[in-house]
Amino acid sequence: MFSRADPGARAGTLEELRRVIRRIEGPRPFRVAPEPPETVLGGQLVETDAGPLLTVRREFPLDHRHGRIALERALAVSADALRVLGRDRAPPDPRRLLFLDTETTGLAGGTGTYAFLVGAGWIEDDRVVVVQHFMRDLDEEPALLAAVAPLLERASALVTFNGSGFDVPLLETRFILGRRRWPAALPHVDLMHPARRVWAARFVDCRLLTLEREVLGHLREQDVAGALIPALYFEFLRRRHPAPLGPVFTHNRYDVLFLVALLGWLGHALGDGEPNLDDGLDLAGVGRLWERADPERAVACYRAALAVGLPAPAAHGVRLRLAAWEKRRARWESACALWQAATAATAFDPRPWEELAKYHEHRARDAVAAQGIVAAALHHAQTAGAPPRVMEAFAYRLARLDRRLARRQPS
Amino acid sequence: MLVGEILDDLLTSRSTGPCIAATRHFPARPPVVVAFPPTLDPRVQAALRARGIEQLYSHQARCWELVDKGHSVVVVTPTASGKTLCYNLPVLQALLERVDTRVLYLFPTKALAQDQLAELEGLAKNLPELRMFTYDGDTPQDARRAVRARANLVLTNPDMLHSGILPHHTKWAVLFQNLRYVVIDELHAYRGVFGSHLANVIRRLRRLCRHYGSVPQFIMASATIGNPRELAERIVGESVEEVTESGAPTGDKLFVCYNPPVVNPELGIRAPYLGEAAKIATRFLREQVPTIVFAQSRLSTEVLLGAIKGGVADKTGDSGIVRGYRGGYLPNRRRAVEQGLRAGDVLGVVSTNALELGVDIGHLDVSVLAGYPGTIASLWQQAGRAGRRSGFSSAVFVASSAPLDQFMVTHPDYLFGASPEHARINPDNPFILVNHLKCATFELPFEADGRFGELDVRRELAALEDEGLLHRAGARWHWASETYPADHVSLRTVTTDNFLVIDTTARDDKQTKRRQIIAEVDWGSAFATIYPKAIYLVESEPYEVQELHFREDEEKVAYVKRVSVDYFTDAVSAKGVWILRRLVDREHPAYLAEQGEVLVAEKVVGFKKIKMGTLENVGSGEVELPQQEMQTTSAWLSVPATTLARVSPSREELIDGLRAVTYLLHHLAPIFLLCDVRDLGAWLGDTTPAETGVVATRESTRRRLLEAEQFTPTIYLYDSHAGGIGLAERVFEILPQLLRHGLDTLEGCRCAWGCPSCVGPVNEVGRRAKATASTLLGVLTG
Repeated sequence: MFSRADPGARAGTLEELRRVIRRIEGPRPFRVAPEPPETVLGGQLVETDAGPLLTVRREFPLDHRHGRIALERALAVSADALRVLGRDRAPPDPRRLLFLDTETTGLAGGTGTYAFLVGAGWIEDDRVVVVQHFMRDLDEEPALLAAVAPLLERASALVTFNGSGFDVPLLETRFILGRRRWPAALPHVDLMHPARRVWAARFVDCRLLTLEREVLGHLREQDVAGALIPALYFEFLRRRHPAPLGPVFTHNRYDVLFLVALLGWLGHALGDGEPNLDDGLDLAGVGRLWERADPERAVACYRAALAVGLPAPAAHGVRLRLAAWEKRRARWESACALWQAATAATAFDPRPWEELAKYHEHRARDAVAAQGIVAAALHHAQTAGAPPRVMEAFAYRLARLDRRLARRQPS
Repeated sequence: MLVGEILDDLLTSRSTGPCIAATRHFPARPPVVVAFPPTLDPRVQAALRARGIEQLYSHQARCWELVDKGHSVVVVTPTASGKTLCYNLPVLQALLERVDTRVLYLFPTKALAQDQLAELEGLAKNLPELRMFTYDGDTPQDARRAVRARANLVLTNPDMLHSGILPHHTKWAVLFQNLRYVVIDELHAYRGVFGSHLANVIRRLRRLCRHYGSVPQFIMASATIGNPRELAERIVGESVEEVTESGAPTGDKLFVCYNPPVVNPELGIRAPYLGEAAKIATRFLREQVPTIVFAQSRLSTEVLLGAIKGGVADKTGDSGIVRGYRGGYLPNRRRAVEQGLRAGDVLGVVSTNALELGVDIGHLDVSVLAGYPGTIASLWQQAGRAGRRSGFSSAVFVASSAPLDQFMVTHPDYLFGASPEHARINPDNPFILVNHLKCATFELPFEADGRFGELDVRRELAALEDEGLLHRAGARWHWASETYPADHVSLRTVTTDNFLVIDTTARDDKQTKRRQIIAEVDWGSAFATIYPKAIYLVESEPYEVQELHFREDEEKVAYVKRVSVDYFTDAVSAKGVWILRRLVDREHPAYLAEQGEVLVAEKVVGFKKIKMGTLENVGSGEVELPQQEMQTTSAWLSVPATTLARVSPSREELIDGLRAVTYLLHHLAPIFLLCDVRDLGAWLGDTTPAETGVVATRESTRRRLLEAEQFTPTIYLYDSHAGGIGLAERVFEILPQLLRHGLDTLEGCRCAWGCPSCVGPVNEVGRRAKATASTLLGVLTG
């Protein structure tokens, strides 16, 4: 009989029992007992209200640079800039932003995809804290959610990259499955959308790694490919060797730091006063960001971009956007000058010609000038081998103008 | 009584009178009505009154009562008996009672869901509490969120529930928390593999409901089948009450069996049944009698339609009042026909069994069945499309010269007396079950007890864990794969890879050339219908196929041009079965049973040109098309020469007897396997065929067997589903019982030379077949 009062004795017999069972089960191939993941991954087990959870905490001083960008820039983001980035739903205080990135068991979505690692960053006093909550097994999800929930409660907004399409709905699914309330009203700044507006025309793609390299100047060494992460985690679940997960933690931590730095870059670019950038392409991109929130500032960015100088195709695009805004405000002289400049573009583009023709025909009521422009446009179109649709449009316009002028002549 | 007059003429005139093989009169039945139940919400009562409904039929009231007591119910009453009200009433009541109540409707097709939505919208015109939406593959992505948030009644189909709703159940949390009723209409459509899948989808649904704390009741409606209650209970996994007594009135109805006249007494050739059916339908339509004609294939639908349109135009000058309807027509064309029938602009319709389902097409007076539809259940379903609640109606069955049809038309007692087929499903089929266990684990981890419906699936879960798809953490099994399992499990065997039929000769208003999609053809029937030079008919207008693009890297398209020809084409196909791998064998004293993998190949090798109207063969052609091959599992039994010698010395007789046994086993096996006849394929071949992969027509196979030097005939029973779903393994296990059961069936059958209930119709298998089969089975089981 085991006595309750003597747990030591019972533990001893349990150990004996295990030995017996092992003997019954027969000899097993020699295996190295894996080290506990908290040791290998440099974290510690924290107790949540739903059980223990492996948490890795790292702190970075505010002057830490991710690539070229010091993290403290994120602190200087103005309320206006946050409003632009968060489509009007972001709060004014950058100190309560929660930078969030998840590593998951797949991209399929739905209820069978787990977020096994949730990386969260925030600014605390004079440093940036990055905390990574990790499920050592799938049954630790309640603990993971219990650890993430208070972070969300404390936050004034989430900052993610493509979170609206992926991380946030996935976490929401996990919360509902875990019977926890998801803070649906929490504002969300998904930096992928503004990033696309700024850089889509400039880089091959607007993926996180591309922007990190091109915009922030940060190169990851030996980064684990995102597509391999689910397999690495499943392998860990089966074999319990934590070391291969090390790069996954680093990858996730970089993703969080990327968010802080990218927000810093964008906040700086959207700063008060004159656009404080010295690269024409950056200025043009930031102009696109302002278009919706403050057209005047968009126009200022475009003008600054043209002044600084742009490669020809980009300059052409900026001229057309700028001209469109000037047209909208009926500043015809300025608009015409831009269109005029745009007609000189190396690659033939019918749009500025059309705009000029429309202006002369309907605004300036100068059919002769319009006729001249359309004739020139048609000539250029022919030389450039423009598609028939474009030529037909110009020919049609020209015929109409010809008729009109012919009617006028007798009188 | 116009219908009566025409019928009278049909029954007695010198030309058609002798063709009437039998008639059966179904007298009118008065309605049995009861007052609205006092508990029925006054707002629902008002809505009913606004639609002219003052009382309920007895079956509607009975269903209300049973649902009210908390039972799940299946209602089995004829077409147009007010079946939908049986489920709509408790649903409306529940939605009015509590704002957060949620209801789910399942229909086998999107079109039926649309139909029911329209009906509900009419009923609930003044009930703003009802927010109903369809949610299926046609719902635009950006509208889905709105539907999820707003709808308290969601109309969908099993496929969407399986792949779009259950795996995303957290987005539907409010629905699952408050799910009160699940309505499954057209329950009879879920037989065989499709039904087995649905039963597992429902197990998954119920599992999620338990998680969210709701216990929905199921209300189902079915056409007449042999075992509606059993099917319902298998599908929903709980006991179900049955309502079968219809209180709806029916008018007088005459069922007529018509056997086309013999035109060549020496050869016993009868007039083509399609022409006869067209003549009969035309007679009714010319007198403005609303008529539906059922054809047995898409091709015969078009041929019939052409003939009838011609006949009707002579008299009324308008052939547009008769339309065609079949799968493959584009949805807007089909909607227009349905709408036209309801409104009365379309007087007649020629359809495949596509209109057998509950699509609302209003009331018609006459149903012409051109050919036996294959099952007793379909026969009554099609006949039931004609009939008003009062007044006279008729169904005319025109037999083709096919043996099965001839058997039916000459044995009216069998036809009228046979009970409808049983719908069989097997939700526990391991292949189907395991696939759904993957989906279920994806949706929610499995608890330690491994309960799934009424099953304990711990063994299966452990196997999936060994495969690395599931992972056990703590006491529960979790999904541990990057994939989305529902994407890899299709509830239906048909692939979605459809061919578009594009008319290259179409012109728009300005006479500019414009490619126009005129129809869709599913992959399975493409090679038999849109091969190059085929005449493809759309509402009886002929198009000739110019090119067929079927290669993997191409868009699946058939380019056709409008032609004016007086013939249509019918594909000639060949088939073959080859053993790829023997897995198990069992030696019996009189035969060798084996089970393994086979290759089933089918190929369209040519076509016949058939003149419209006279249906004479006016030419033929060859086509070069790829062979369609399927690897699947099969059981087979080979009969050695020693056994054959004990049966008959005549090889011809032996082949007939073996064919008869093949037919018998093919039709008996589904009873043991709980599947549909179509889930199994059967083939009489040889274990040592001349050349692997070379297909042969039925006739040439017979010739080859007759001439083969070494005659070891082999009966194959294979799984119709590529890869197999375990049916063949089961056939192999039960083969001795199956043979014994076959012998019992033969001995118990009172027919003289064979009928569809035993070895197949006598004219198909030959006069000696039943006797030979009987001897053969005696030897095999001996």
